[in-house]
Amino acid sequence: MMGRRATRNLAVLAGVTALIGVAYALIRPSGVVAPPDNTQIVIGITQEFENLNPLASSMSATAYLYRMVNRTLVALDEHTVWQPQLATRMPTMENGLARFVDADGQRKIEADWEIRDTATWGDGMPVTCRDFAFAREVALSGSVSVASIEVYRQVEEIRIDPFDPKRCTFVYTEPKWNFNRMFQFYALPEHLERPLFEEFGHQPQGYEQQSLYTRDPTNPGLFHGPYRIVDMRLGSHVVFERNPTFYGDPANIERIIILLIPNTGTLEANLRSGSIDMVSMLGMTFDQALAFADRVESEGLPFDVNFQPGLVYEHVDLNLDNPLLADVNVRRALVHAIDRGGLSNALFQGRQPAAVHNVAPVDPWFTDDPDKIVIYPHSRRLANRLLDEAGWTLRADNFRYNADGERLRLRLMTTAGNQIREVVQVYLQDQWLGIGVDVRIQNEPARVFFGQTMRRREFSGASMYAWISTPEASPRSTLHSTEVPTEENSWSGQNSPGWVNKRVDALIEELEVEFDPGRRLELIHAILYDYTHDVPVIPLYYRSEVSVTPANLTGYKLPGHQVGATNHVERWNLLPPSGSDARDTPAAAGVTP
Amino acid sequence: MTAFILRRLLQTVVVIALLSFFCYYLMTLMPGDPVDEMIAANPDITSADAERLRQLHGLDQPAHVRYWNWASMVLSGDLGYSRTYRVPVSEILGRSLFNTFVLAGAALLFSLLIAIPLGVWAALKKNSRADYLINLFAFAGISVPSFWIAIVLILLFSVYLPLFPAGGTSGIAFGMTPWESFTDRVHHLVLPVLSLSFLSIGTYVRYTRAAMIEAMEHDYIRTARAKGLSWNRILIMHGFRNALIPLITITALSFSTLFSGAIITETVFAYEGVGRLVFQSIQSNDFNVAMVAFMISVSMVLLMNLAADLLYGVADPRITYS
Repeated sequence: MMGRRATRNLAVLAGVTALIGVAYALIRPSGVVAPPDNTQIVIGITQEFENLNPLASSMSATAYLYRMVNRTLVALDEHTVWQPQLATRMPTMENGLARFVDADGQRKIEADWEIRDTATWGDGMPVTCRDFAFAREVALSGSVSVASIEVYRQVEEIRIDPFDPKRCTFVYTEPKWNFNRMFQFYALPEHLERPLFEEFGHQPQGYEQQSLYTRDPTNPGLFHGPYRIVDMRLGSHVVFERNPTFYGDPANIERIIILLIPNTGTLEANLRSGSIDMVSMLGMTFDQALAFADRVESEGLPFDVNFQPGLVYEHVDLNLDNPLLADVNVRRALVHAIDRGGLSNALFQGRQPAAVHNVAPVDPWFTDDPDKIVIYPHSRRLANRLLDEAGWTLRADNFRYNADGERLRLRLMTTAGNQIREVVQVYLQDQWLGIGVDVRIQNEPARVFFGQTMRRREFSGASMYAWISTPEASPRSTLHSTEVPTEENSWSGQNSPGWVNKRVDALIEELEVEFDPGRRLELIHAILYDYTHDVPVIPLYYRSEVSVTPANLTGYKLPGHQVGATNHVERWNLLPPSGSDARDTPAAAGVTP
Repeated sequence: MTAFILRRLLQTVVVIALLSFFCYYLMTLMPGDPVDEMIAANPDITSADAERLRQLHGLDQPAHVRYWNWASMVLSGDLGYSRTYRVPVSEILGRSLFNTFVLAGAALLFSLLIAIPLGVWAALKKNSRADYLINLFAFAGISVPSFWIAIVLILLFSVYLPLFPAGGTSGIAFGMTPWESFTDRVHHLVLPVLSLSFLSIGTYVRYTRAAMIEAMEHDYIRTARAKGLSWNRILIMHGFRNALIPLITITALSFSTLFSGAIITETVFAYEGVGRLVFQSIQSNDFNVAMVAFMISVSMVLLMNLAADLLYGVADPRITYS
């Protein structure tokens, strides 16, 4: 039996030890970890990924990984310029590789594609047009859950040169100007996958369940990109190693490990402890990145925090069926009342620019020319005047009322738990209160908000969320009047405000088949004029992509569009530290603008 | 006893069948579907694409038809296909179940090894300083949120004192010997096990202490002492054995959670377990994964309750099943 004295001594000893341990841990500088070199880099991501069958995959994280192992005929580079990848050239009318043809009384396009001579799958088999024709056959079979089938459906036929399977002619069903932007038209290794498709393709999802991408994801024959997969555990990690058969310049880094860390709160601890060397664009939230950037500067940490405004457009949808919001003067007053520049500076240190419409600055179609669109400067005076004109009078309680004594009240919704949106929401509430609008906040979990409320247009006033687009994309799904979700169209479409503008409908129809780039620009600017004139949506800001990279990494750039940073992964280069350890050198730290 | 076991097993099967339908039906009531997830990730999906995908996944069918299809598939031995990960459910669930079993099993064992001696000691030293100290520790364990203790452990033992990895199930290395693989797994387990144990040690200490105090105050303890039995024999054979009934209940229930996972701990430590998998599956409407995991979890609770009932008879011969 232990005596009272012994117990007390034990307790004191345990307490002192714990205190010393905690004190030591808190005052000791964080561990100095060797900077990564071209042998290996470990990248943390927070989003789940699936197997890499390009036809069946749909997650953003999978698209990020896919570009490391496979490429497409063409892709947007990091400067948002279209470049041939597997193709030797991008066919256009101007270079003579594409032409209009008339067949069966219809106008179509034929385009000649040629695949690089040196492009081979990892098992040495050449990448040919047959692989694209096979992918199209699989996609159109109806038994595979291809997310976006239009890119395959637009190709009516692939005529392969009988003497050279690397040359072929695509026949396009409709003469659309963007026929050659086939960055989502993937190839499948026919020599490996056809037997499986023949055997299981007739069952719903049978092929994708039996595909080698599912059953044997490390088979080198599945990959032709700069890397190939040597180890893959869904829900945990993927290990990539340099692909010796890649057609382009060999990758600088020998091995890349993607590590899934689902909790964003521990990303920084993992970085500091050396468990990961880098956080991908699918990692830190924007506010975390801002805070970490401050610490990188103040503590001289050897990381770059990269911010790149992208294609994600944060906005407030206004339900135009609401009689209050049906009045364009009220909508304009709401925009005038918001100091969007102040919002960007106050909450985002100016790193997420204020939005003027739905086309982001990274998109070549962007314009902020006041001659082409309607600009709404921050002005309470203008906002108040518009509301006065609309018949809403300010009373002594500082709220506005109409002639029937009804208060100007608006319900503002967003996704509950999204910290940034909730802060912005309070900012908006305060700004609108300044012009006498009573804003009631009602938030919902994301799946209820998107799965029910927005999908079925069950919001009564204003809803704040984001759209993502591709550069130079038709705005049909969000602006065309046929895309207003209704019971008749099974609640499909994303025109949630319910904006119906026949001129815009006609402009969208024309835009999609206009081959003259100059005329297209005129058309999109005309659409943007109506969009900013009618204000069915209040633009807030363009969201930035963020990533954290080691200070000695060169050749890396966040592109700001869907063809992510891994599309040029072979150019990433980890420079050896010069002189002393780069991680101890404050000068090595920095924040990329 | 055989009749008792058979009757309980039959009840278990009925309860599992009923619960499977209710769980499935509840999941179908959740707003959104897997196609909504796809639309969020791909702006090029058209309305026609969404309609086609809903048909392909059978999401246009009524809930009872979808349940029937799922149940028929499972009863035929096919657990289905994960829409989230695009692999067979058995492939992803099996590994996660094993990982969770290792984590939760290690944590349970560690907790019991620490908590039972501490609880017994506190009971024997009731109202002493040792008792107060142990109680303080137990209440701290019960009160502190698990995500907080997990992050503190990572900061202390991964960032400031780089002794253990900040997360992961195992290291990513090639050519490890079996021994190296084993030690690597253990190395990765230390912090999650400590985090998970912190809460349960407190709970077990409180139960053990209360049960032991009650047992040691019975007349038969005084009788045993009067008969001159050794203290250890009184403590173990008469005191601790009689204190076992509540401990068996709480341990059996804890055992049933070995396969249901610890979402917070698994998420914070990026541990590849079933809790995180199920959470992700529910979030993305991956019914096949979520339902199989639910069924395993429900079955374990029912079976462990049955096991606890049977163990009562072993601990206390006065309990019979006739």
